[in-house]
Amino acid sequence: MSLPTLADKIMAILRRDLLTAVRYRSAFMLTATGTMAELAAFYYLSRAVGPGFRPEGLDYFSFLLVGTGFYTFLVMGIHSFLQAVQEAQQNGTFELLMTTATPPPVLILLSATSAFSRSTVQLLLYLGAGLLIFKGALPRPGIAASLLIFVLSLIIAAAIGMMAAALQVAIQKGSVVLWVLGSGAWLLTGTLFPVASLPPPLRLVAQLIPITHALDSMRVALLQGASVLALSREIGILSLFCAVLLPLGLMMFSYTLRKARQEGTLSSY
Amino acid sequence: MDSIVFESVSKIFRHRPALFNWLGNERTEPTVALHDISLNVRSGSVLALLGPNGSGKTTMLKVISTMLLPDKGSVRVHGADTRNEPQRVRGCVGFAVAGERSFFPRLTARENLDFFAALDDVGPKLRKARIEITLARIGLLDAADTLAMKFSAGMYQRLAIARALFKQPAVILLDEPTRSLDPAARTDVWDLVRELSMDGTTVVIATHDFQEAATVADSVAVLHQGKMVSYREITGFNAGDVRSLYFQGAGELAPSDADFLVESWQ
Repeated sequence: MSLPTLADKIMAILRRDLLTAVRYRSAFMLTATGTMAELAAFYYLSRAVGPGFRPEGLDYFSFLLVGTGFYTFLVMGIHSFLQAVQEAQQNGTFELLMTTATPPPVLILLSATSAFSRSTVQLLLYLGAGLLIFKGALPRPGIAASLLIFVLSLIIAAAIGMMAAALQVAIQKGSVVLWVLGSGAWLLTGTLFPVASLPPPLRLVAQLIPITHALDSMRVALLQGASVLALSREIGILSLFCAVLLPLGLMMFSYTLRKARQEGTLSSY
Repeated sequence: MDSIVFESVSKIFRHRPALFNWLGNERTEPTVALHDISLNVRSGSVLALLGPNGSGKTTMLKVISTMLLPDKGSVRVHGADTRNEPQRVRGCVGFAVAGERSFFPRLTARENLDFFAALDDVGPKLRKARIEITLARIGLLDAADTLAMKFSAGMYQRLAIARALFKQPAVILLDEPTRSLDPAARTDVWDLVRELSMDGTTVVIATHDFQEAATVADSVAVLHQGKMVSYREITGFNAGDVRSLYFQGAGELAPSDADFLVESWQ
């Protein structure tokens, strides 16, 4: 597929999603209101806990701001793959989308590109509001390391997202499984409190979840200004997750799609 | 040259019953959707698939389009195997599905066509002009900027045909294309099918309408419980001839026979 063709397809998907989003008029305002309420809750939680609590030596509100912001970004990104399949199943377009000239895994990846673009804007607004309105602090962000960790985390989220999409094609209720896994990840990945607070067996499980490493290294890069070199171990771990999960996600999606074509369940929802 | 080749194609749908199936008693026996179907469709010809509900017409269209894979046998479209070369097949097939739910409800007709055309590799320069031409041809130009969710059943059907035509495929599959159309629009679609055929496009049309089959088709395949019970050229046939062919093949009672039985019983 040539680059202009790919760009044309991405633009078509972005345009579709943007038009659909703006035509659900109230949803945007409700999301913005919800985000502000969440930030306010974290702000007052950190004040209630007091300045003495400094997880990993960081100001607690900034710890929460980066942790929850980036966690939400990654989980929403993963969920967007599943949602792309689920919505297409529900509005009856899935069978047709899976039989266009665009190979299905490419189409799902492109759909997620659009969702990630939206999530990136939301993340920036979330961080911006946290910094400007609630006086969070990013004293000396390590830009290069943050960007590298962002890209690696994005690839990991895309890989897990492909698995979530595969799950949706296979059992049509992938959101339930994702909700269970998401709740577990919320507890284990150090979003609200440091992983060190968990008992040793759970700490071990937490190390097997890529989001734990993504959040941890993003905090260190953004809030402590760590360099790429200083984060080389975490970057290595994230790269390993990328190398394993991405081909696995693509394989799972192609397999379940083929099975659904065989069983005639492509349009089931 | 043959455009579509079915070789001993079978398709069985297996039902995986729910947990605690005794609560709802869902069907567990498999459904034979297609059984050992073999046929060749000539390039540029129109094949009508006739048969009662659940006889396998839509399954045949879906197998051609690669939406479904056959369990046994093979299907080739313009020489490409649907199982091994699905992307090649998709490049030359346009499918107008029967259901109303196949568009993005909060996009307009024009935006829906533009989106699907981009995914089907129709370049941006070609799209704008083609949208106008296709919508005009199908009688939807006035509704081009109306959200799809505000369409009537007939408008959805016309938009589905427009989407199938848009990429100018070599094979067009039409699933009950005139089911919800008014008589004038129906005649327009029939004219369109004949034009496509004259231009060399192969058309496969699933229908319950004998008049439609007689008007547009070169050949008819009658399906019954997944089996092809009759397949023949119908040049020169009228609706009555197609009707006779159908009832001979499908093994159902023709209305006149049914009337006779009712009268005897009374």
